[in-house]
Amino acid sequence: MTPGVAGRIDELRQEFDRSFAEPVRRHDEEHVELLAVRAGGRPYALRLAQTAGLHPDRPVTPLPGPLPALLGLAGFAGTVVPVYDLAALLGHPAGGHPRWLVLAAGQPPLGLAFHELDGHVRVTADAIVREQTHEGPRGCLRGIAGLDGAARPIIDVPATRALVHALAGHVQVTEEAQR
Amino acid sequence: MAEARDPLRYFRIEARELVDQISAAVLDLDQQPGPDLVARLLRYAHTLKGAARVVKQTEIADRAHTLEEVLVPHRGEDAALPAGEMRELLRLNDEIARFVGALEKPASIETPAVEEPPPRAVTADLDELLDAIGEANARIAPLRDGSRELARMHRSAEALGDRLRTGRDPAGSRGAVQRLAGDLAALGRRITDAVDQVEHQLDEVRGRAEGLRLSAAGTIFTALHRAVHDAAEAEGKHVRFVASGAQTRMGPHLLNQVSGAFLHVVRNAVVHGIEAEAQRRAAGKPAEGTITVEVERRGRWAHFRCTDDGRGFDLTALRRVAEARGLLAPGREPEPQELIDLVLHGGVSTSGSVTEVAGRGIGMDVARDVAAQLGGSVAIRNRPGQGATVEIVVPLTLLSMNGLVVEAGGTVATMPLDAVRRCVRLPGEDAATATAAGRLAHDGQVVPFLPLSRTIGPAGDNPPAGRPAGAVAVVLTADEQTVAVGVDRLAGTTTLVARPLPDLAPAAPVIGGVAIDLNGNPRLVLDAHGLVAAVHADPGRIETAREPEKPHRPILVVDDSLTTRMLERSILESAGYEVDLAASAEEALEMAHGRDYGLFLTDIDMPGMDGFTFVARARADPELAAVPAILVSSRASAEDRRRGEEAGAAAYVVKGEFNQEELLAHIRRLILR
Repeated sequence: MTPGVAGRIDELRQEFDRSFAEPVRRHDEEHVELLAVRAGGRPYALRLAQTAGLHPDRPVTPLPGPLPALLGLAGFAGTVVPVYDLAALLGHPAGGHPRWLVLAAGQPPLGLAFHELDGHVRVTADAIVREQTHEGPRGCLRGIAGLDGAARPIIDVPATRALVHALAGHVQVTEEAQR
Repeated sequence: MAEARDPLRYFRIEARELVDQISAAVLDLDQQPGPDLVARLLRYAHTLKGAARVVKQTEIADRAHTLEEVLVPHRGEDAALPAGEMRELLRLNDEIARFVGALEKPASIETPAVEEPPPRAVTADLDELLDAIGEANARIAPLRDGSRELARMHRSAEALGDRLRTGRDPAGSRGAVQRLAGDLAALGRRITDAVDQVEHQLDEVRGRAEGLRLSAAGTIFTALHRAVHDAAEAEGKHVRFVASGAQTRMGPHLLNQVSGAFLHVVRNAVVHGIEAEAQRRAAGKPAEGTITVEVERRGRWAHFRCTDDGRGFDLTALRRVAEARGLLAPGREPEPQELIDLVLHGGVSTSGSVTEVAGRGIGMDVARDVAAQLGGSVAIRNRPGQGATVEIVVPLTLLSMNGLVVEAGGTVATMPLDAVRRCVRLPGEDAATATAAGRLAHDGQVVPFLPLSRTIGPAGDNPPAGRPAGAVAVVLTADEQTVAVGVDRLAGTTTLVARPLPDLAPAAPVIGGVAIDLNGNPRLVLDAHGLVAAVHADPGRIETAREPEKPHRPILVVDDSLTTRMLERSILESAGYEVDLAASAEEALEMAHGRDYGLFLTDIDMPGMDGFTFVARARADPELAAVPAILVSSRASAEDRRRGEEAGAAAYVVKGEFNQEELLAHIRRLILR
C-alpha cells in the first residue's frame, strides 16, 4: 500500500468517524427530545421522555359524560385508555378532530390527542427557556422551546395528567381481582 | 400430562359435583319432601357409589351405599323423612365430601397457581364454549370450499392465458374471461359473507371463554342453605331457605368472599332473628321462619340480600350497649336507623356481655370488612317485629352478559339483553311522534320514550328535526319500570364480558361499562338502570353532559281565567320552568317587551285581543318573532287549528283533551334557552 493511499484512507476514516462523533458529542451534552405538535391551531411541544407512545388515527369510541375534554376511549392491547383532547385541556375552543394520540407516561393509562404532528426534534437544553412559575392555561405549560425561529410552549405531561386527575375526580377503582 | 398418571382426575370432578348435588337435594328434601327428590337422591348416590367402586375408593362407595339404604325405604313417599335420618344423610354426605376433598389435595399441589377450587357447574359452560367453537369451525367450511374454487379458477385463468397467447378462438376467450370475472365476483361475495360469519362466531367464542372466568351465584347457595339448616337444627327452629338470582355471574374470588360473610349473616338471622316457634305463633306468624337470600346484578354492582322474617333488631338492647360504650350520649333519642348503623360502624359488635346484640355484631363485622375490602358497602334495614334485611353491595369488575348490539347516532353500543323485553320497528312518522312526545304506545300501555342518540350521541348533537331519531324502539325493563329507547339499527346479539370504565373516564350514568370488540376497540355497554333513569329523568331533554346548562327562559302564560292561569303555572313550575302570568293579550304584549321569554302559552278566547291576534302580533314583531307560541283552547275544530297555524302558533293544545304530558312535551320541544 503506498503512503498516499494510506493517507487518503486515514483521512476518509477520520471523516467517517467524525460524522458519527459530532452528533454523539452533542448527544453527550444535555439535550431534549421534543415532539412538535399543533393543538387547537397553536404550536406546542411535548417532551418525548414524558410520553409512552405516539399513534395516528387510532379509533376512539366517544364516551358521553360530564367532561367535554374527554373524547372517548381507545383500545391498546386489551387495555381501555381514556383519550383527552389536548386543545380542550389547554383551553382552546373545540374544533376539528384530533388525529394524533400520545400515551402519557405513568398510571393510570391516559391518552392525549392533538391535531397535527409537525415533527420530532432534538434540541439542546439551552434552546429551552425555562420558567420559574407554572405558566399557561391551567398550569400545563413549562417553558418554551425555540424551534425554527418560532417559540413553542412546552406542554408538561405530568402537569397535564394532574389536571386530568383533578377534572375526573380520580378515585382508584377497587379491583375485585386484586390478590 | 398428569392425566395418564392420575386415574382420579375425572372422578374428583364428578364426585365433587355429585356431593354438591346430594347436599342441595337433601336440603331441598327438608323443605319440600316428595318422591321426585328421593328418586333423584338415590340416583346421585348410586352414581357416586358406582364411580367410587371403579376407582377403588371404597370409603366413598360404602358411604354412598349407606346413603342409598337410608333412602330406599322412603322411595315413592310424600312425607318428610324423620329428622334423625335427614341428619344421617347430611352426615354421610359430609364424610364423602371430606374424602373427596382429601383426593383433591394432591391435585392442588400439582397446580399451586390455582387458589380456589374450580368453579362448580363449569361443565355446562364448557359445553357451550365447545359448541361455539364447533360452530366457528363449521363457518370456516365455506372458506375451505372457496379455496378449492379459487384453485379451479386459477387453472381456468392459466388455460385462458395459453389460449390468448396462441390467439386461437378469440370469441371463445372473451366469453371465458367474462365467465371467469363473474365467478370471481361471486366467490368474493361468498368469502365476504363467510368471513363475517366467522368473525361473529369468534366474537361469541371469545365472550363465552371470558365468561368461564366467572361463576354463577347459585354455587354458594348450597353452603348457605346448609348453614341455615344446621343453625336451625341446633336452635330447634324450623327455617325455610329461599334463594333467587342463581344465574347471576361474577368473579369467583368475589363470590367466595361474600359467601364467607353471608354464612355469618344467615346463621345470625336464624339464631337471633327468627323467634322460637311459640313466640312466632303468638306474634301471628307462621311457625316456620323464612330466610331469603337474593343475588342481583344492577349495572356493575352485585347486591347480596339476606332477609329474615324474625323479630328484627332489638333497638333497646342496642341502645343500652351503645350508651354503655359511650357511642351515644345518654338521654339522647336516636333515630332507629342511627342505632342500626351503629352496629355496622360503631363497633357495637364483639361485646361478650350482651349476647343478643353481640351475636349479630360478629357477623356484621365480617360483612363490613368484606364489603370494605371489595370496595362496596353494607346496609341493614330493620323492621321491628317483622324481620331485618342485611344487604352487601359490591362492585363487579368483570361481568358476563348477553348483549343486544345497537347503533344510534353513529355510535355502536351494547344493551344488556336480560333487560330487553321487545324490539318494535318504528316507521319514520311514529319515531318522530314518539320523539316529540317522549312517549310511545306499546302493548296497550304508554311508556316513556327516548332516542338513544340523545344520551349517547356526541354532546349537544340532537338529531335535527325531520330526521327520525329512532327506527327501532327497544323496550326494556329495570327497577320494575318499563321504558322504550329509540335506536337507528339493531346489529345482532353478542356474548361479552363488560368491565368497568377505566379511571380518568367519568361517564354519563347510562354507560355501565365497556367491552372490547374483535378489533380491539372499546365498545360502550349501556346500563339498563341508567337508561330507565335517563328516560324518566327528563324525556325529551336528556343532558349528554352534566355541564351547567343554560337555563330555560321563563314562560309567559296568557289567560283571562285565574283558575287556568294558576293551573298552568303549577304544572309548569313543577316541571321546573319559571312562569310569568298575564291576564290579557294586551298586558302580555307589554310584558313581552320587558323580559326575554322562552315561550308564550296563550288562551284564544279572551276579552279584548284574542289569542290568534296575540300570536300574529308577536310573530310580526321583530323583537318577539323568535319566541314560539302554544295556543291552549277549548275550541277543537279543524278550522281553529288552521287559524292558529296561520297566525304562527307552533302548537295547538285542546283544553278538553288537556293532557299535561302532551303540553310539557310541546314545551320541551319548543322553549328557548
